[in-house]
Amino acid sequence: MTRNVRTLTLEDIRALEIGAAILGTGGGGNPYIGRLRTEQLLKAGATLSLLPLECLDDDDLVASVGGIGAPVVGIEKIERGDECLRAMRAAERATGGRVTALISSEIGGANSMEPLITGAQSGLPVVDGDGMGRAFPELQMCTYFIYGLKPSPGAVADEKGNEVVFTGARDMFWLERLSRAVTVDMGATAGYCLPPMDGAFVRRVAVPGTVTQAIDLGYAVQDARRRKRNPVQAILDACDGVLLFEGKVVDVDRRLARGFAVGRATLQGLGGDSGATLAIDLQNENLIALRDGIPIATVPDLICMVDLESGQPITTEILRYGLRAAVLGLPCHPLLRTPEALAVIGPRAFGYDLEYRPLANGGTR
Amino acid sequence: MRTIGPEQLDDLALGAAVLGTGGGGDPHIGKLTAAAAMRAHGPVRLITLDDLGDDDLVVPAAMMGAPTVMLEKLPRGDEIVNAFTGLQAYLGRTVTAVAPIEAGGLNSTTPFIVAATLGLPLVDADGMGRAFPELQMVTPTLHGMAATPMAIGDEKGNSAIINTCDNVWTERIARTITIQMGGVAFVALYPMSGAQARASLVPGTVSLALQLGVAIREARRAKRSPIDAVLAIAGGRRLFGGKIVDVRRRTERGFARGEAAIRGTGEDEGHDLQIRFQNENLIALLDGVPVATVPDLITVLDAESGEPITTETLRYGFRVVVIGMPCAAAWREAEGLALVGPRAFGYDLEYRPL
Repeated sequence: MTRNVRTLTLEDIRALEIGAAILGTGGGGNPYIGRLRTEQLLKAGATLSLLPLECLDDDDLVASVGGIGAPVVGIEKIERGDECLRAMRAAERATGGRVTALISSEIGGANSMEPLITGAQSGLPVVDGDGMGRAFPELQMCTYFIYGLKPSPGAVADEKGNEVVFTGARDMFWLERLSRAVTVDMGATAGYCLPPMDGAFVRRVAVPGTVTQAIDLGYAVQDARRRKRNPVQAILDACDGVLLFEGKVVDVDRRLARGFAVGRATLQGLGGDSGATLAIDLQNENLIALRDGIPIATVPDLICMVDLESGQPITTEILRYGLRAAVLGLPCHPLLRTPEALAVIGPRAFGYDLEYRPLANGGTR
Repeated sequence: MRTIGPEQLDDLALGAAVLGTGGGGDPHIGKLTAAAAMRAHGPVRLITLDDLGDDDLVVPAAMMGAPTVMLEKLPRGDEIVNAFTGLQAYLGRTVTAVAPIEAGGLNSTTPFIVAATLGLPLVDADGMGRAFPELQMVTPTLHGMAATPMAIGDEKGNSAIINTCDNVWTERIARTITIQMGGVAFVALYPMSGAQARASLVPGTVSLALQLGVAIREARRAKRSPIDAVLAIAGGRRLFGGKIVDVRRRTERGFARGEAAIRGTGEDEGHDLQIRFQNENLIALLDGVPVATVPDLITVLDAESGEPITTETLRYGFRVVVIGMPCAAAWREAEGLALVGPRAFGYDLEYRPL
């Protein structure tokens, strides 16, 4: 069948860099480095093809690829460039099939671009969608696994030439555990490929249209900047979000633990939030926002920190003292709010004894 | 061609524990599992390296991990066969023979589980001529052969195929996976052609282990010294006799590491011997001076019965004799010593042959 494929341009990628970083809620890998790598491929003549989710055939074999590890390491340890491609080939070989399309597991950060890079290298189209509509720190935290993807064969590959394909995994948590341990050995960043999925399954469980959404979000921010309008408001309008807090970062307690960047950022209120304090707990991504100790937003809803003036997203690895930030709450996709989903990505899955309470869409606090 | 049945496994495990130099795991568990496989599927044909055709595909199979954990965490039973068939499926070729990767301890008997279950011959050879704690420490590494593709699996149903840039990376990644799997895993690795096996493996070590086991058993029955019987076959010499007065052992980064102190009795009265180990016995120091080091074999035997004592079962009060035996010739060359000499284990010592 002919497929209604959109070819992405350099401008699209620059917009995606902004939009993906916002949806990344602090994580997903440094989008600037992802953008540079994608640009380099584009300038070398590669084609980036985006395929609408509904155009997937039932028997397409779809591989979800991305970077695994700690973003703080990712900005220092330069990739060889073919890590995800080699992970994909290893999983493909174990599957015995032939991968026909790629998809992101997380639209947030550089992992929005890894499938595009692998697509450019392999000539495969990338599906317009992902498994989170945001970013999460662990492999099992995506709609693919939440809605029944079997846990093998997944694969990881590093820049030194090492590859491990997990031909058997007791469950999705074991795939995460083994992949994470090997990733730490590999130097705390690696390329991964989830067990390849058939097209019918992906059509049913993927969060649709998120690549386009991230690109449009980036364009909205760029447009607001150009027109001297408030970029923060442009994000809220585009995502039906809530302004949670405006303040100055006064403390960042961030450390590398078990292959993750974990810690807490504290903001002191400015303007209407003067006198108040906001604490954000993070594990690669922002997990919980506490205003004066009271939770006002939690996973799986998106907690995004952007520069107060420019709307530029602030990822956890560049978070530092003195930044003036707006903290936004954006509602997650309905696929993430089901009981099955909350068991894997709700506050309790991250060790918080909290009930998930959805953000009021488009409301004010 | 000879066959090995369950009735010979006691002798084999006994002899292999001598060659295991304290490591390779307690042979008891491997022996029971191998005997069960033989009773279910029949005895195993033992072939020599010379019986292999150049195009045979030989794959060693083994258990990996800390012997301290192996003592407590029992295998489900089919893990090693699953690892082996997993690698075979990945290679896309039929494996024609199984080989032991180490002559010592548990891993002398584990390949019999695969050979019996799949009806494959077992090669009378191994990759060490003893036991060593790490994957890259095998004679095939000296011949430039890759440990990968390698299969690894556990009792929970987790399994993986590993491909690495070199054999030290194989060890590192496989060790990490083993620790996650609970400290013990089952592996199939170093897939090799018959020609490569002939060029690189240490020949005759399964027979040697059997011969040692038979000799100890017969010496006991004849009320002769089992220790003299071992030395008559393996060469080497008695290093020390005494009582174990201290054992420090910890499970660290996936290994059983530590040291044992032995106070001399009889002719060694007034002297002390210290043994340092990492799964296997590595160094023996007599009154602080090294008297035997890797890659030569240092084995602790019960003074009366000649029963070899593995590092995870060493304890205060045992009356023991410590013997040193010469290693396979390949280990005494410069490349061999770089891989398994004292410095490879972090000891700033020159290797001096026994």
